[in-house]
Amino acid sequence: MSNNPFPLPKEQLLEAYTKMKTIREFEERLHVEFAKGDIPGFVHLYAGEEASGTGIMMHLEDKDRIASTHRGHGHCIAKGVEVEGMMAEIYGKVTGSCRGKGGSMHIADLSKGMMGANGILGAGAPLICGAALASKYRGDGGVGITFFGDGASNQGTVLESMNLAAVWNLPVIFVVENNGYAESTSVDYAVAVDSYIDRAAGFGIPGVTVDGTDFFAVYEAAGEIIKRAREGGGPAFLECKMVRFFGHFEGDAQTYRAKGENELPQNLPFEGHESRRYLGR
Amino acid sequence: MSPLVGIVANPVSASDIRRVVANASTLQVTDRANIILRVLSALRACGVENVLMMPEKSGIRRHITRAYERAANLKEDIFPQIHHVRQDITTTVQDTLKATAAMKEAGCKVIIVLGGDGTHRAVVSQCGDIPIAGISTGTNNAFPEHREPTITGLAVGLAAMGRVPESIAFEGNKRLDIKIGDRADDIAIVDVAVVTERFVGAKAIWKPENFRELFVTFSDPEVIGMSAIAGLLEPVSRRDSHGLMVQLTPPHEAKMRLNVPFAPGIIGAIGIGDVKHMMPGVPVKLDFPAGTIALDGERELAFDQTDDVTITLVKDAFRTVNVSAIMNYASKQGLMKLN
Ligand SMILES: Cc1ncc(C[n+]2csc(CCOP(=O)(O)OP(=O)(O)O)c2C)c(N)n1
Ligand SMILES: [Mg+2]
Repeated sequence: MSNNPFPLPKEQLLEAYTKMKTIREFEERLHVEFAKGDIPGFVHLYAGEEASGTGIMMHLEDKDRIASTHRGHGHCIAKGVEVEGMMAEIYGKVTGSCRGKGGSMHIADLSKGMMGANGILGAGAPLICGAALASKYRGDGGVGITFFGDGASNQGTVLESMNLAAVWNLPVIFVVENNGYAESTSVDYAVAVDSYIDRAAGFGIPGVTVDGTDFFAVYEAAGEIIKRAREGGGPAFLECKMVRFFGHFEGDAQTYRAKGENELPQNLPFEGHESRRYLGR
Repeated sequence: MSPLVGIVANPVSASDIRRVVANASTLQVTDRANIILRVLSALRACGVENVLMMPEKSGIRRHITRAYERAANLKEDIFPQIHHVRQDITTTVQDTLKATAAMKEAGCKVIIVLGGDGTHRAVVSQCGDIPIAGISTGTNNAFPEHREPTITGLAVGLAAMGRVPESIAFEGNKRLDIKIGDRADDIAIVDVAVVTERFVGAKAIWKPENFRELFVTFSDPEVIGMSAIAGLLEPVSRRDSHGLMVQLTPPHEAKMRLNVPFAPGIIGAIGIGDVKHMMPGVPVKLDFPAGTIALDGERELAFDQTDDVTITLVKDAFRTVNVSAIMNYASKQGLMKLN
């Protein structure tokens, strides 16, 4: 496409758009269904954070591994996990991705390189160091991405993993999805060393901050970081700044938030953009 | 009443992709705060009692508060009083724009700016006639001069206290005005680059094959960034009345290729076409179908065939503190003599 103004071809733009739209609809549907009381356990929704997971996952193949969080539906969808299996899993059905044993916080599909959502904050980081070490050892060019929230970023496991990844020069990308809150605790209160870039620099790891609601910003930065890691350039840190749309979990009354703080952007990051004209929708 | 000095310190500059694609440095928040503390004691040493700061919640304020507490415990009376602009904190450029406007409103004599070219540009868009003094803490720093911030603080202090004639203390600077029809109206203080990417994305520009046009207010072979391209072709000082326009082409198609440090740690081939002087007050119509306009090193405005883009060099558009002239004057006149 000679007049394509974007950094990826039309088919891939459509694929990214479809992923983000699927995530948004999946989460909005769960928001409605959960209120009916048929879903066991808790669900944490990823709506509003679509551009982060999708912008990163567009650079990955099945051989690349990701370790997700308790807010993992979006990561699963962006990494290619089947949505029917996911929904069944959330309902605890035997037809679910993990035969209904895991539920929302433990959806996994190793065939897609999705090592699992995770109910334990910060637990994905050491796992992904293992996966990245395996890739490095085999020389298959695979990378590992570990996602964690601003709250989880303070877990010892995340910090240990940053040290390990730097020392062993592992192809790991640490992605903090900074949505401003850990449950009801504000990031401004809870994160000493207020800058993630400073924190990464403390381990000798280069850090980048992007607007996590801008697909192109995430896509472009993640592209450089992932390419570098694949070619042996070592770990990097990516901070995606965003706003948590819904409550921490479904049913959260959110009395701790200021009025209008989480107003739902009506458009996906892709919409209202020149891409709309280009994609003809 | 003792004069008021403003300080705008951007806590989030220096966090873009250039830390990954090159080895651009990270200036830690604590170091930014330490720089401000050094500036504050320099201001106080000149007699400045009140400082108005931009509020932020990324750690600078906390660090400074602790330093003030320690100074009080140690009975050290070395800092001026700090006031913060009362405004919501968004952690975006809006904070800088609002705080600068408030400092102007409050009658600040000078505004000290900590940041890269982007932060300085944001302040210039709001400060009007108030002179600014730049301290470099960003990635691409063609605009703020590099020197120990204590000295910048002293120069600002002497100027704010009225101890140096304005004609020596302050000087005029050029600016580039960018208009896209009546849809966008923006400025740059060092350079405007036109690139073929049509999305703002990660903002930084680091792919020479996509560079097409360059406009600079000044060019200096000693600086980093896009204006270094012009600097290596024809230096233009900040005081000259003209600027420079350089046509850029993909390096593999170019008649002339120049090896340029166009970003920190990246020295690469840039394809050069025509080089022309840019005269103040004469709008230049952009002759390029579609792309993005990078202002002072960051992609900001996308445009296409339907847009009329003009770029105009403006003389004496804003004022800066001439630290070197002030300190030389201070030496000659014995301004720092204690008896
Ligand atoms: C080790 C551990 N401690 C505490 C919890 C309880 N918990 C679940 S989610 C959460 C907050 C997480 O915040 P953040 O990491 O910012 O992610 P977000 O929910 O904002 O996406 C907490 C404290 C947990 N699951 N695991
Ligand atoms: Mg959070």
